Amino acid sequence: MERKNTYIKYRHCEDAGRSNLNIWKIASSRKKPGLAMTSLLCLVLLLSVLFSSCLRLDSNLYNPSTDIKEYQLDHYSGEQDFILDASYSIPDSLIHQFSLFSQAPGESKATIIRAIYIGSIAGIQSDTVIMYCHGNKDHMDFYWQRAKLLAHVSGKNRYGVMMIDYRGFGLSEGKASEEGLYADVDAALQWLKLNGLSGSRLMMYGFSMGTAPVCELTNKPRSLSPAKFILEAPFASADVMANDGSGLNMPGSFFTNLKIDNAEEVKTIQQPFCWLHGSADNFLNIETHGEVVYKNYGGSYQEAHRVADADHGEVPEKMGFSNYLNIVSTFIRK
Amino acid sequence: MIRFATYVVCISLLIISQRCAPSRFVKPLAKKENALALNLGGPLIHYGKAVTPLPLTSLMYGRGLSNSTTAFGSLHLTSALFGNFQTDLGVCQRLYKHDSLGFGITVNPAINLVYDKWEGNFRAWPQLDLNIYKDIIHQKGFVYLGLTNWFELSSKKAHNEAQSNHVLINPHLGFSYNPKKWSYSIECKFLEMNRKNVPNVVDYVGINQRGAVGIYLNVMRKF
Repeated sequence: MERKNTYIKYRHCEDAGRSNLNIWKIASSRKKPGLAMTSLLCLVLLLSVLFSSCLRLDSNLYNPSTDIKEYQLDHYSGEQDFILDASYSIPDSLIHQFSLFSQAPGESKATIIRAIYIGSIAGIQSDTVIMYCHGNKDHMDFYWQRAKLLAHVSGKNRYGVMMIDYRGFGLSEGKASEEGLYADVDAALQWLKLNGLSGSRLMMYGFSMGTAPVCELTNKPRSLSPAKFILEAPFASADVMANDGSGLNMPGSFFTNLKIDNAEEVKTIQQPFCWLHGSADNFLNIETHGEVVYKNYGGSYQEAHRVADADHGEVPEKMGFSNYLNIVSTFIRK
Repeated sequence: MIRFATYVVCISLLIISQRCAPSRFVKPLAKKENALALNLGGPLIHYGKAVTPLPLTSLMYGRGLSNSTTAFGSLHLTSALFGNFQTDLGVCQRLYKHDSLGFGITVNPAINLVYDKWEGNFRAWPQLDLNIYKDIIHQKGFVYLGLTNWFELSSKKAHNEAQSNHVLINPHLGFSYNPKKWSYSIECKFLEMNRKNVPNVVDYVGINQRGAVGIYLNVMRKF
């Protein structure tokens, strides 16, 4: 219809015997919007080129909190997955807070990270130690109840438990990064090794994002090679995250440079493997994340515990603490 | 908590931006007519306790090959910001038109192509849109109802797992107001209505735990 109107106007000009100049003006006025739109197109394309690739999600994938001045542990009143009763208390003399220096490959200086060791430091020379790698939330206060629970595996303070805040989490300095996760956990393993721990007495335990350093450092050991490893609600890979979110076979590289790929790492791990996952995990789907990691495991011993009705973070509570402790203890002693 | 919400928004933004845009053309352009459009909008997600649409953008150019066929191509600007070159190329073909009733049916076969500069991954997803429109303001406005269908041709997904989602069905309802050369449209989509939205890393606002509801705005200039 618009084209027709223009044609009529054009004819009217001719019929009126107006000059070619008027006709040119009409033609010119028709071209202006096109030129304007072309200019706009060029501008947007130019801006797209200039700003393309300037964003990645990587730094947003971490979910730490640094708004604390000290670790409050049992006195922490923030959000927690569960709170243990007084029977799970740990004597102050067996709670050690300290700092470690962590230096990732290629870094010019070390980052100071914070650590907690539950148990007798002198006992590291002879005891089994569980290296607990926490998930992607807040800081060690949030995970304190979990570490405390693990300090009751096979009896109160039977095994030592080591936990750190990755760089950028809690009171640890620096900025969270994938390579930082591995370096920070390895810094803790170096400290344990210096205090007399051998790989044969090291158990690696990872929850959620913490399963990444467990798989990485079990598959490619740096300071110590663990005897066994436990994954609770493991993250399979960024590819699975993208697949789940889109419903398409979309690679993770479309939104992140994260290389975490537990589902591939476990293929070449030989140490015995225990997997726990909530069947109602609404964050890391048991089917697409956990089952894939479990299925891909390439070693000789594996056991699975699919916990009915447990959401992400609810596994110990929904299993029942004593049942959970019994399963972990049996696996470690096997 | 705010940071966690930001994290979810970012994840959502990127994952969804790969496959979200309103219907490119519901009515074909006239022969040799051109159009340039800016699209804004996306699926609704929970952001903390609030609900917000994701502000995704794409730029589209179309040209009438005949009075019943329009070719189009687009650039997804949000994807480009994250280092992904994404385009959808296709045609809008009129299948049926009833002038006196102001009613018509069109179909848009298209192909979505995405390439990331980081690892060189490339994906292609065919798309088929079907629209039925009805003029409600003579020559100036129409409502439309349709289906946007994406097809996953790969039999595998991550880690060689079997792919069970091969057709993603997205019904939509829209209104387009077209004063002279400008066109303004609003469209509501029910994204992936045939797929459960839990458990998932993204907290979509769906219907009965399925899919995600999306709102899109489209501004087009014909020339």
